[in-house]
Amino acid sequence: MSESNVKKGSLSRATEWISSIYRFATDRNDFRRNLVVNLGLFATGVWVARNLSDFDLMSPQPVT
Amino acid sequence: MGSVLAASSPSPPPPPSAAGSASPGVTMPPGFGMPPVPPAAPPTGSGAGKEQRAESLLPNPGAFDECHRKCKEVFPMQMEGVRLVVNKGLSNHFQVNHSLLLSTTGDSSYRFGATFVGSKQTGPAEFFPVMVGDMDNSGSLNSQIIHQISSRIRSKVAFQTQQQKFVNWQGDAEFRGEDFTAMVTFGNPDVLAGSGIIITHYLQSITPSLALGGELVYHRRPGEEGSVLSLVGRYTASDFIATLTLGSAGAHASYYHKANEQLQVGVEFEASSRMQDSSASFGYQLDVPKANLQFKGSVDSNWVVGATLEKKLLPLPLSLVLCAFLNHQKNKFQCGFGITIG
Repeated sequence: MSESNVKKGSLSRATEWISSIYRFATDRNDFRRNLVVNLGLFATGVWVARNLSDFDLMSPQPVT
Repeated sequence: MGSVLAASSPSPPPPPSAAGSASPGVTMPPGFGMPPVPPAAPPTGSGAGKEQRAESLLPNPGAFDECHRKCKEVFPMQMEGVRLVVNKGLSNHFQVNHSLLLSTTGDSSYRFGATFVGSKQTGPAEFFPVMVGDMDNSGSLNSQIIHQISSRIRSKVAFQTQQQKFVNWQGDAEFRGEDFTAMVTFGNPDVLAGSGIIITHYLQSITPSLALGGELVYHRRPGEEGSVLSLVGRYTASDFIATLTLGSAGAHASYYHKANEQLQVGVEFEASSRMQDSSASFGYQLDVPKANLQFKGSVDSNWVVGATLEKKLLPLPLSLVLCAFLNHQKNKFQCGFGITIG
């Protein structure tokens, strides 16, 4: 009985935690949330710039 | 003509009437260069001698305002309406330009601009003094005078009027040392009213690649005064420049990457604690010198997508600019078309 209560308590805490993360992630008016999202976008942009921008436009086209 | 054009775009930004002066096909972005890496110290040198040699090889870090400029130049400039710019060099020292802007959202305008470049040469493409001014059809004037007072001190005075009323006036002096740059700017000083703005910049080369510095802004008006301090750090490598500015007003980070001769990429992050807002932008610049074409594109976190296309129509002295910006969030679209002659 007590084990099931403990499990229910931990399950409800996990549910609340997930709900708060979901509310934080979807609240577009939250400055901290936008800050975290834009920092992630900046880091992604830097990664793309460093790793995916080495194509050569002037290289000859492959012959089909 | 060539010296006027070269000197009319020194370190401070060019006047608005000189639109389209950037030429596609520049293989090395202007001002971009790898700081010299000090050679390996000889084994027989003393410790103090090595330290002095390392210190003397630190390059000048450049101007404080240029820290984020390399990245910002990659992004397309938003333009709306139809713009016609005619540049005419009357001599090696004097150039005039006419700008006609036809707009659908704002007022259409005509601007007349003039640029005078002196004969004091301080560098390969630097002539002083430089006087740039332009006036629009309502009588509003923008002007600036830049002069190299000595080999290390450069000064600038700028004025801006709205019809007959002065709205901005500022003067600054920049000192370039061996491995540092210091600048002080006085903005809108009014001794009678006791108001004004003082801005001081300092940038120091720590290593051939790393430069650290700061900016202090002090503003005062009757009954109110305050100051804002910002710190900046810039790391320059062979193919990228990373810059970070942190202050009480917010943060600004930029990353510039030169992928190859044709492609440059820029990523920016800005956050303002006062406005409680932040944004991230991604931009790129494609140069195709064989086609005399330059394409810039950008996308940001506010769902704004934009692009500009600039093409030189050789052998005519014509340059064509097409611009389009789309704001998906606000459902707004802006497009612009421009021709530059001369």
